[in-house]
Amino acid sequence: MLSDSEVAELLSFLTPSTRPDVKGQATEYILGLSGNRDGCRFLHSKPDLIAALFALTSDPSIAIVKDCYHIFINLSADETLHQVLVKDVKVVPVLFKNLLDPEYLFSDQICTILSNLTRHEKTCKILFKVLQEDVGMAQLVQIFCTEGYNKNAKLHYLGPLLSNLTQLPEARNYLMDKDRCVVQRLLPFTQYQSSVVRRGGVIGTLRNCCFDHAHHKWLLSDAVDILPFLLLPLAGPEELTEEENEGLPVDLQYLPEDKKREEDPDIRKMLLETLLLLTATKAGRQMLKEKNVYPIMREFHRWEKDAHVTAACEKLVQVLIGDEPEEGMENLMEVEIPQDVEEKLKEADAKEQEELEKEEEKRKQAEEEAEKKKKSDSEQTDREQESGLIK
Amino acid sequence: MASTVHSDSDDGMDAFMDKFKTQRYKNAFSENDWEEEFNKIPMFMKNAPEEIDPQKYPELACLQSIIHDEDRPPEEQAKSLKDEGNAYFKEKNYQKAVVAYTAGLKKKCADQDLNAVLLTNRAASHFYLGNMRSALNDAAAAKKLKPDHLKALIRGAQCCIELRHFSEAIQWCEDGLKVHPTDKKLRELRAAADKHKRAAERDARKAKAKEKKLHGEKEALLNAIKDRGIKLVQPARAQRSGSDSEDEDERSPAAIAELSLDGLSSQEVTGAQVFVDEQGSLQWPVLFLYPEHQQSDFISAFCENSCFTDHLGVMFEELPPWDADRKYLPQNLQLYFEDEEKETLYRVDPEMSLLKILQHKRYFVKAGTPSFIVLVKGSSYCKQFLSGRKIHGLGGLLTML
Repeated sequence: MLSDSEVAELLSFLTPSTRPDVKGQATEYILGLSGNRDGCRFLHSKPDLIAALFALTSDPSIAIVKDCYHIFINLSADETLHQVLVKDVKVVPVLFKNLLDPEYLFSDQICTILSNLTRHEKTCKILFKVLQEDVGMAQLVQIFCTEGYNKNAKLHYLGPLLSNLTQLPEARNYLMDKDRCVVQRLLPFTQYQSSVVRRGGVIGTLRNCCFDHAHHKWLLSDAVDILPFLLLPLAGPEELTEEENEGLPVDLQYLPEDKKREEDPDIRKMLLETLLLLTATKAGRQMLKEKNVYPIMREFHRWEKDAHVTAACEKLVQVLIGDEPEEGMENLMEVEIPQDVEEKLKEADAKEQEELEKEEEKRKQAEEEAEKKKKSDSEQTDREQESGLIK
Repeated sequence: MASTVHSDSDDGMDAFMDKFKTQRYKNAFSENDWEEEFNKIPMFMKNAPEEIDPQKYPELACLQSIIHDEDRPPEEQAKSLKDEGNAYFKEKNYQKAVVAYTAGLKKKCADQDLNAVLLTNRAASHFYLGNMRSALNDAAAAKKLKPDHLKALIRGAQCCIELRHFSEAIQWCEDGLKVHPTDKKLRELRAAADKHKRAAERDARKAKAKEKKLHGEKEALLNAIKDRGIKLVQPARAQRSGSDSEDEDERSPAAIAELSLDGLSSQEVTGAQVFVDEQGSLQWPVLFLYPEHQQSDFISAFCENSCFTDHLGVMFEELPPWDADRKYLPQNLQLYFEDEEKETLYRVDPEMSLLKILQHKRYFVKAGTPSFIVLVKGSSYCKQFLSGRKIHGLGGLLTML
């Protein structure tokens, strides 16, 4: 890596008054460094460089600023750098401040950085604190949900940011504040077509929120009405009987023939996991049964091809059609599992995962074979036709 | 406490008081009407009179003119008018309240808070009068003056809900919650508006699905008819807007819609219509006409595969009351259909199925109801009816198909 004198020289190039071309070369070089792990580790030991780079995010040259932000995206992706970034260089308050600015050009990059910084609990906690002090979660949600808040940025990565933040119970509590209207704003985005990042982020957030079964009743009530928004991406165009239709939540009734299901299997799995979480309490189970969730799952099961997702669906269906657990065990989250049983369950889970992987592999292979065959068949016919022509 | 002994009282009070010992008080309230009289004194009034007649209520008129004195600054006048409006509002006299608030706004005072209140209160009055649009306009104006005026925000949302503009209602709530994030009423209104909106969307989807189903059924029906080579004809109608529908594709959506109204609906009150039964056969409403006696019979569902003798046998099992001559026996009956265009009668073989006859190249189903003329073979009426007309006999019929 660089010697101390080389670092000092580099540092001297990273001032606002330096010639743009020299500045540009310096930032380009560091960008290259930040792209690999060793480079990142090296930079970790040079907080002065990082601080200088951060200061350059206010540089008048857009190219420079862009490079700097990309450097920070790379740095923030490496957890070992989080302390330096957050504690030493103190990037967070400035990032938030710029995020609030509807004209800011690099808000998308900021979102990615923040999303990276919140991946792990330790830094996430620090970030949340700054968030609450400077911006407030409500405002963050507001910005996220306002179409066209920033003309220069899509802000889709606020989705994963929120999802990461909700690993903290304090963030979840704020999101699910009964006296405010916060989580409700996120619900329509479970079907946001234009961005899988945004959609996935929102659904991840909702899934995390459902870990708190104390909030289930409220989430399922009219005040929030989370259920239809979880079911809509999983519901398809299949016609249900009049009786089945009438029992469904309003948003799921009489869906048009061109209704498409969620395309991303990971998101489908998350939705099913969220629904499964909601069956933890007796009241939740009852509501899901009452609202005819089963027919939706039945049709979904017929349609789903991915083994992992199907497994998640089957788990949910089992609860929906199964008997009520005995007294004392009604809240599935609070049931005490004896140590040895827990061990066995873990083993069984691991084994199941393996088997699912195998199944998925097989299915994908089969698909590929079918594709190849189709291709070679058509090539065959092409060749035949060609030879026919030549004759 | 005044006693006659007390000598240095100021204003002849003593003398005044002394008078009572000897003189009766004039203009006293009488036993009977003292309550009524009391009510006339402004201080003791329980309700204000509708109109203040200076002759009857001089004191009230005085007070009113003090309150509405043009010399007072506009803010004060506006405030008094606001109070007046509020008083009327409390009494549920919303019309008068509107008048008062409007007068207050007319003062155009500089106090925007006051103006916002006047507008909001007027909005409330309109709301209770059922004038939702006026109420909404006032709430919007108040919101413009004071974007954080909670009552205006709530009222605006409520008006939108009443007007069934649910998306707009949600927007009002969102705007409100930005400024008052913990307000319960705004939260509740938002949830309610959202719920209504989604229910309305469901209703739209349901209607669309139903329409589609109906359309599909209609199309299938028309196809079934067309596939059999049966010709439908619309009864002569006044100019339809736009299209020259003679050449219009029979299967176009407009044609199909038309058919529901004209082509297939029966003239009969029963509203019977041709339909496809479970076996895939068409069942037609059929009219039998008996011109001799100006009578008719209506079969609501004549299966295309049935023949006429089947029905006639049942219909004339017992001779109808109008058949004075007792001659309409099934075996004596002759059936005809009329080709209006060519003014020709075609004889129908009763052993044939309805389908076969409908497929006759000169048969046109009018108003969705095939009709047939019934005469008695050899009767004088029959001879009379057929004379001078072009007739195609049974022999001719067979070659048509």
